[in-house]
Amino acid sequence: MNFAFTKEEEAFRAEVREFIQGAMTDDIPSRWLGGLLDTPVRQEFVTKMADKGWLSIGFPEEYGGTESTMPLAQYVLNEELHMAQAPIVGKNLGVVVNTLLHQGSEELKQEFVPRILRNEIQWALAYTEPEAGSDLANMQCRAVLDGDEYVINGQKRFITSAHFADYMWTGVRTDPDAPKHKGISLLILDMDSPGITITPIWTIIGERTNDVFLDDVRVPKERLVGKENEGWRYITEALTYERFAMTSIAPTVRKFQRFVDFVKETEVDGKRLADDPVVRRKIARLSVLVEIGRMLDFRCVAMAVKPDYVPYIEAAMNKMWGGIVETEMSDQFLDILGPYGYLWKDSEATSSADALLDGDVADDYLWAGHQRVAAAGVDISKNIIARRHLNLPSS
Amino acid sequence: MDMEFTEEQQQLMNTARSFLEKECPSALVRELETSELGFSPGLWRQMAELGWLGLPFSEEHGGYGLGVVDLVVLGKELGRVLCPSPYIPTVVVAGGAIVAAGSDEQKKTHLPRIISGEELIAFALQEQSGSYNGRGIKTTAGEADGGYVLNGTKMFVEFAEAADRLLVVAHTSGDSSTTDGLTMFLVDAKSEGIQLTPLSTLARDKQCRVDLKDVKVAKDDVLGPIGGTWPLLERPVHTGVVTLCAYMVGASETIHEMANSFAKERVQFGRPIGSFQAIQHYLAQTITEIIGADTMTIYAAWAMDNDLPHRAIVAKAKSFAGDTFKQASSIGAQIHGGLGYNEEVDTTLFLRRGKQYQLSMGDSGHWEDVIAEELLDK
Repeated sequence: MNFAFTKEEEAFRAEVREFIQGAMTDDIPSRWLGGLLDTPVRQEFVTKMADKGWLSIGFPEEYGGTESTMPLAQYVLNEELHMAQAPIVGKNLGVVVNTLLHQGSEELKQEFVPRILRNEIQWALAYTEPEAGSDLANMQCRAVLDGDEYVINGQKRFITSAHFADYMWTGVRTDPDAPKHKGISLLILDMDSPGITITPIWTIIGERTNDVFLDDVRVPKERLVGKENEGWRYITEALTYERFAMTSIAPTVRKFQRFVDFVKETEVDGKRLADDPVVRRKIARLSVLVEIGRMLDFRCVAMAVKPDYVPYIEAAMNKMWGGIVETEMSDQFLDILGPYGYLWKDSEATSSADALLDGDVADDYLWAGHQRVAAAGVDISKNIIARRHLNLPSS
Repeated sequence: MDMEFTEEQQQLMNTARSFLEKECPSALVRELETSELGFSPGLWRQMAELGWLGLPFSEEHGGYGLGVVDLVVLGKELGRVLCPSPYIPTVVVAGGAIVAAGSDEQKKTHLPRIISGEELIAFALQEQSGSYNGRGIKTTAGEADGGYVLNGTKMFVEFAEAADRLLVVAHTSGDSSTTDGLTMFLVDAKSEGIQLTPLSTLARDKQCRVDLKDVKVAKDDVLGPIGGTWPLLERPVHTGVVTLCAYMVGASETIHEMANSFAKERVQFGRPIGSFQAIQHYLAQTITEIIGADTMTIYAAWAMDNDLPHRAIVAKAKSFAGDTFKQASSIGAQIHGGLGYNEEVDTTLFLRRGKQYQLSMGDSGHWEDVIAEELLDK
């Protein structure tokens, strides 16, 4: 039983912290998902880490990886990046590389993995459709084999990196007659292909996502990942990696610590906010929720390093808890701030100079709502836990 | 980072589980609720024979030299069957206090007898205020005849009637507004001037109000420094709290398993009720909380065993484990519908204990105040 990281991992952590301190500039941090690589400065930041070999840790050398005796290197790296609101190395590595290594052909592995580990290419993940959200297996985007190419027609929705991605990792229906889970395949689309139209969708937190329309987009059949009609299994395994990489408790810990510091430093009418008995109890209760989030995160991490084990349930529990904690925390923080909590501070549009904590808590409140549903949120996670862990019957 | 128990811990878990499944069925738990002692002396002797009463004591004192994580392993198994026993007050708190504060003579006198099951010690800390933070203690200990004389009233003392000794915390100096001036006394339970009044509790366990009127205590029975005992009590109490957390996690697992099985079998509206989403969501949320509480409890134990600062961690563990068991027992009964509230159905054993244990060894408010001190005042 051991809750500590190894000395090597802690030394790596210190190295990462030092790097972040040196490489961070004001235009790099982003509050959402540790930042997308949608600007040149953010791309450059991650490329610097790639140059240090930090994206390759633990991946096979034959594809550009570096052997490592640190099973939790990527976890430690992302934790530090989250704490600094720096771009994390999640989606590309977590989903694409892991799935390619497990399922992809030799050609696909050679073509893509080294370039990803050098941060030379960016990816969008395209599963969701207007009629396939919570019911993701309901995806209809059609792929028909025509000679040596698949021809794709359909629409994908909420594809967050589409507007700057080089490639799109796409779920398609290859067998419309099979039961829906059994007719899905994974294809890699080149975003330069003719027939792809991207239109923006703006969320209430000012984050851009996209609709992606596919009209007769042609994809070489070599770009099929694994076997035809096996895609759903790959997707659920890959979603686990995404959930694990993307839903670290670190951002929650960072926000909590920042608010605690605020409470300790702030006085209202000559009295320390930290001495208010109601505030003390609220902070204490929230600290418990955050700590349990850390425990579920640890559990996920400890299971994820076991070979051949996919921490599907652990990731679902982690995801579920994250949505619950973020909601409760932002809500309670706003209660403590009172009406100052709802003041917005947005440097691009209106700016309220009276906003406390840069108006970030109001943003966090909206973000928490998003977290309750995004990428299999609270309710879907509960379904997964109930059916797959507790073996409760479906209707 | 690794969440595995050692082979020895696995073995302790497996042995305890099969032993308790056989020797502590729910029928016994029920029976003990109305018995005189509230626990089974026969079972206690068997636990001593298995070596369980010696787990946390050093080999030098006749124990196994194991840590808090091992107490958590055992505590969980005891909790899974709701085993009523003086384990926490006698072995963990009093035993721990004797190790932390006792003279060599006192250790020689009491530890072997605790380990063999011959001596039971009840822990008398709380008073009328119900507070668990060492304040509000009005019981005084005045010097007299080379020893001390105790006067006051203690509340919520578990197993007071069965106890050979009462570990009483009283003021030799200072007043009830402070923890300064507190001293521990290993009072002979047969002493003159002790009056025990049984309390009727939700969990139907054996707790007493203890009135002390001019109770004489010999100097040899003072445990630890005069007036400076509170800091020494912290670790034994924390160990007891973490063991209680483990007990609550084990109990939560059992009631959850019961509710989960019931949901798969009970058919209403033409299908098992476990196929309805509301029931699925209750059970999914609860199991996640149980796993969170389990990990948190083990983390607290691990931190204590590794001498890391643990006051806030223990506080968080108790706060959450208490909430979790309360919730698990409540929702567990609810899923059973009307049946869940029938006296003879086992759900009620859990329901009555769920809320009581949340309030025991420091209620939510107490531990939230500790967390606030750690986070905001340092």
